[in-house]
Amino acid sequence: MGMQSDNERTEPQALARADGSRPGAPGKPAARYGTPWRRFAHNRLTQVSAALLTVFVVTSLVTLPFSLRWYNVQELDKAVRHTPAFSPVVSYGHYVQRVTGRSGPGLSAQAEACGSVAHRASSWFGHDDLGRSLFYRVLPGFLVSLGIGLAAAGIAVVIGATWGAVAALTGGRVDLLMMRIVDVIYGLPYILMVILLKIALTRPLTALFAGHTKYADMVILFLAIGGVSWLTMARVIRGQVLSLRSQPFVEAARASGAGSVYILRQHVLPNLVGPIITYAALVIPQAVLQESFLSFLGIGVQQPTPSLGRLAADGVEAVNTFVGYWWLITFPCAILVLTLIALNFIGDGLRDAFDPKSSEAMLV
Amino acid sequence: MVRNLFFICGALLATTLSIYIFSSTEPRADFTYVNPSGIHTLDPARMSWTQDFRVALNIWEGLTTWHPQTLEPIEGAALFPPGVSDDGLTYRFAIREDARWSNGDPVTARDFLRGWRRGMEPGTATDYTFLFTENVAGAGEYVQWRREAVGGLTALARLRDGWGVSGEQAKAIVRNPVFEQIETAVDGTLFKPAKNDGNEAWERIATELGEAGVDWSSFYNRVFETHILEFDTRFDAVGLKAPDDQTFVIQLKRPCPYLLDLIALPIFLPCHESIELLRERYRGAPITAEGLVVYDPQWTKPDYHRNDYPGLLTNGPYRLSDWTFKRRARLTVNPHHRMARTVTCRTVDMAVYDNISASIMAYEAGDVDFLPAMDVPYDHEIARLARSGERPDFHLCHVSATYFLNFNCVSKSVDGRKNPFTDRRMRKAFALAVDKQRIVDKVLTRGDRVAYSFVPPNTIPGYQPPAGLSMDVDQARRLLGEAGYPDGTGLGPVELLYTPSDERVCQALARMWEQALGVRVELRSKESKTFAEDKANHRYMIARGNWYADYNDPTTFLDCLGTGNGNNDSGYSNPRYDAILAEANTACNPKRRSALLRQAESIIVEKDLPILPILHYATPIAIKPHVKGLYVNGRLWFPFRYVKVER
Amino acid sequence: MIALIVRRLLLGIVTVACIYALTFVMVISLPGNPFQQGQHNIPPEAEMALRARYSMDNNWLYFQEFLAGAVRLDFGPTFTYNDWTCNQIIASALPVSILLGFLAIMIAVLIGVPVGVLSAVKRGSWFDVSSLSLVLLGISVPTFVTGSALLIVFAVCLQVAPVGGWGTLGHLPLPALTLSLPFMAYIARLTRTGMLDALGSDFVRTALAKGASPRAVVWKHALKVAFLPVLSFLGPAAAQAMTGSFVVEKVFGVPGIGQHFVNAALNRDAGLIMSTVLVFSTLLVAFNLIVDVLYTWIDPRISESV
Repeated sequence: MGMQSDNERTEPQALARADGSRPGAPGKPAARYGTPWRRFAHNRLTQVSAALLTVFVVTSLVTLPFSLRWYNVQELDKAVRHTPAFSPVVSYGHYVQRVTGRSGPGLSAQAEACGSVAHRASSWFGHDDLGRSLFYRVLPGFLVSLGIGLAAAGIAVVIGATWGAVAALTGGRVDLLMMRIVDVIYGLPYILMVILLKIALTRPLTALFAGHTKYADMVILFLAIGGVSWLTMARVIRGQVLSLRSQPFVEAARASGAGSVYILRQHVLPNLVGPIITYAALVIPQAVLQESFLSFLGIGVQQPTPSLGRLAADGVEAVNTFVGYWWLITFPCAILVLTLIALNFIGDGLRDAFDPKSSEAMLV
Repeated sequence: MVRNLFFICGALLATTLSIYIFSSTEPRADFTYVNPSGIHTLDPARMSWTQDFRVALNIWEGLTTWHPQTLEPIEGAALFPPGVSDDGLTYRFAIREDARWSNGDPVTARDFLRGWRRGMEPGTATDYTFLFTENVAGAGEYVQWRREAVGGLTALARLRDGWGVSGEQAKAIVRNPVFEQIETAVDGTLFKPAKNDGNEAWERIATELGEAGVDWSSFYNRVFETHILEFDTRFDAVGLKAPDDQTFVIQLKRPCPYLLDLIALPIFLPCHESIELLRERYRGAPITAEGLVVYDPQWTKPDYHRNDYPGLLTNGPYRLSDWTFKRRARLTVNPHHRMARTVTCRTVDMAVYDNISASIMAYEAGDVDFLPAMDVPYDHEIARLARSGERPDFHLCHVSATYFLNFNCVSKSVDGRKNPFTDRRMRKAFALAVDKQRIVDKVLTRGDRVAYSFVPPNTIPGYQPPAGLSMDVDQARRLLGEAGYPDGTGLGPVELLYTPSDERVCQALARMWEQALGVRVELRSKESKTFAEDKANHRYMIARGNWYADYNDPTTFLDCLGTGNGNNDSGYSNPRYDAILAEANTACNPKRRSALLRQAESIIVEKDLPILPILHYATPIAIKPHVKGLYVNGRLWFPFRYVKVER
Repeated sequence: MIALIVRRLLLGIVTVACIYALTFVMVISLPGNPFQQGQHNIPPEAEMALRARYSMDNNWLYFQEFLAGAVRLDFGPTFTYNDWTCNQIIASALPVSILLGFLAIMIAVLIGVPVGVLSAVKRGSWFDVSSLSLVLLGISVPTFVTGSALLIVFAVCLQVAPVGGWGTLGHLPLPALTLSLPFMAYIARLTRTGMLDALGSDFVRTALAKGASPRAVVWKHALKVAFLPVLSFLGPAAAQAMTGSFVVEKVFGVPGIGQHFVNAALNRDAGLIMSTVLVFSTLLVAFNLIVDVLYTWIDPRISESV
């Protein structure tokens, strides 16, 4: 669902126009809740994607102790600046000294062994213009990007689902008004909204996070992205709730005297899990991509914190007729693209699993 | 049906494409250069960007101009040198008989008067009004009078229209002389906030004013009419005179040895009288209801003809013949200019490339002839090619400019946290901990020069800046301890504010401080608008700054740090520094003046450190080998009238 | 049909008005001073007078005046570009973006639809898998990377295109292609799913049973149904493409309108923000209307349900 040119947005028109009355809406009772997951798990593309993402996540997490120390170690000497990939230049001892401030031994043999592997890895992706190991910037960068994506999707889900459900359950004028508001916000250019929201949030949140600008900045970023990505979610959820309300099994429950809270908990919510998860999975890649556009504009994640988008945007000018620092663009971009493709495949897999019939409604 | 749709789309496509092809462009100009972001404004009174200066100074001509190689002031629209009185306070310029506007009208002293007056107008002028108020006799008083009048008129107009006023507007009314009459008319006393009361007090009087049953329109009329009456007589008191069409006299309030250099700047350009056709008038008066002097901002367009306006007229070697928004501007030789015949480059195109990398590629492909800016992430490679001579068309300009850091010397707190840099020892500690040589040699590797002083050395004849501080980490740590933060303990994160283009230097600086002093540095990169606002309003701890010499005198740098100067971003205020500068201003002996200025600068760069000079820029530029007559110089000043293209 | 258009038009006008009000509220609540365009603060009295002059010291007055101007298609001054008005900026940038966006949408449809149809027909084949992967690549690579790569390959290495700028035919293909890639990807995906549904439906089976050639069935009958979701996607997509993209404009130096969305917001330029938003939302409403009309034209059954 991640649309990508900078002022585009996800637009499930098919859904948006059909007033939520989708053909073949899932009237599945809660008992069949397990099957979509099995379907999902048996999709080969999703298997591969999930495996890839797991590898990335595990690698980033395992190397995190090292990358947290090394991502901003600058080796400004000529030999290290812009050294290409796979050519080790800085001695291990030197690194240890730069990080710990100690030169002699003092580390256990185990730590020493880990360290030497980690040190060898540091040169795999080459070094950037400040002589920093790109490997140890790309890996935490992946986590930052994924984190922003997840958080933004979470925000979109919370706002969107609440909005849509409230609209559908209240009905009448309130419903009409709430959905008109969604329509109106749809009419605003996406990138402008993100920037305006970011500008508006910056000062209060920086004050709130006094002294931790780094974190404030990430929070602002995912709040801004999530704050404009919830519209489709609201429409999807409203449509779902509306169609569920008129399903025979819900009507049967109501006829048998069940309270509305009971119906909501027993029949409506379980059936919303599918669309919510599906939609959230499709928002994540979109948010990751949005972050890269903001980085390209120079208003993304604050340096020296890396993010994939930031690194890719910085790498764009690394290859031309004058310089050929190919690794600066290749590795961040490759990881970014692989991540996005994997996330998209997983999103598709979820959609197929939860809602195999009317996939086109969710697709766009 | 779908197929029909495709046919329709195809037909539409064909039409648009053919329109597009047929509306294609004129032949290429003799000479094309790149202005990366396009022209911000062509109004000389509002300009503050070098790129805009470049266009303005090629199409207009001031009383003097600069030599393309030496940057010495040379003859402009007036005969050179002008007559100077013995006390150095009166300059008498004789406008050249053959100075002509691009429609053939003679350039008169009144045109200069008009242009200079615009440079002082509140609401018109932006960054450079201080050049008038600090140098020209009576200009400060005139500007102050105008500002107060504009504030009072605006507020009264709002009350008259029944919209009520804000606290800020109420303040303007209370400061206006008419307030006494208002108080008597209100029949009782109005609440009068004290000088340093907060905005709430002013809001209170704003409400009182709004509720006072007074005939505001009569007050407004009274103030407006008085202002109109005094409008020209007040200006007559300013030391600028045009006794006849050919004579322009400047009276200074202090000796200004660099005046001839200074007045080549765009804010001192003349303005053709046709602009009066576009003046906004209120009740027939030459000002608006708010008291502002406003001309239709379209007056800088060559093809604008409202009210029979002839389009932009200029008096320089070129005229602006075409200007499309964010695409290009074409300069064509001004046939009435005295040098028109010697100008070989008859047309000049200014091409806009938002992406500097793309402009370099266009240069390599031969689409453009001259790149005055090449700040790309790989400029170190371009500088290397220039230095090694591998690319004889690449040049390195050692610009008379300083890249420095501002320390916030005024704010007690920033974003609710204590600002440690009000303490001089802290500033000095941070200054001593920076390895500038490393930044120049290892981070930028462009060939910039390390800056130990604010004024670039060896650029100003007769002035040698003080030696400044060199790196001394031990002393830095000691000072940090003395300031109460031994090894950085107790000191929260220090924030460094900059724009995305300074990424590399600022990251390296942050790392240096972290390693040398054990402090934590938070980087705050803001887009240029927020950056400028945060800096101007002192919402930062350390902020990147840069300053380009406007004229060849140490005061172009040193004045920036005077108390209350509009460019004093660090909020630095030292009475002793101000006193020395004031003394230097009145010193007639150049040697003594130079010694005083040096003494003042040493306070800045050795003792108080409101700023930390990092480097003096080296800017790579590219000139195609077939272009002659463009010279590498310290102010990136490129007059096109000397350009010869030998294709 | 006419009743439909009129109703949609009225609804569109109301929507645009609401968008204006919403944008206005956002713009005036932004921190930042649009009048500070130089490096430094301007004198407070001058700022006060300028605010009053543009009615910006009184939100309600400003709301009315800007609206009155906008109705007369006069969007007033901009403070980022002192010498130009919002009207001039839009007049200079919008045609550029419309041409580029139109080309991009054309490319996207002309390539995306056939690719989608073929991959649906040859479901599971190597063509299907590889086109699906390419499609995902189109959605996953940031445009600033694809744009820069195209520029390096075609303009610098092969030298078959100019490196950027605007004014000749050669300046068109690279930015149009870059802009079209994400749209192309979506259209291909949409067509594929739509086609799969259509091919499995009864009327296709009936047509085939009646002896119609498979090719005609696919390209005529099935595509007609499969194209409908693409069509409803095209409305907002066209509006987005034709209001430009900051990234494409920045990479290729195209003087389009996309950059003004970003610059206006970054410069807190209230007038320019609101005029660009109004242009965008008007285009969006207009294209949605066109799509509705086309919808009923292609499939008259729908006119009753819309």
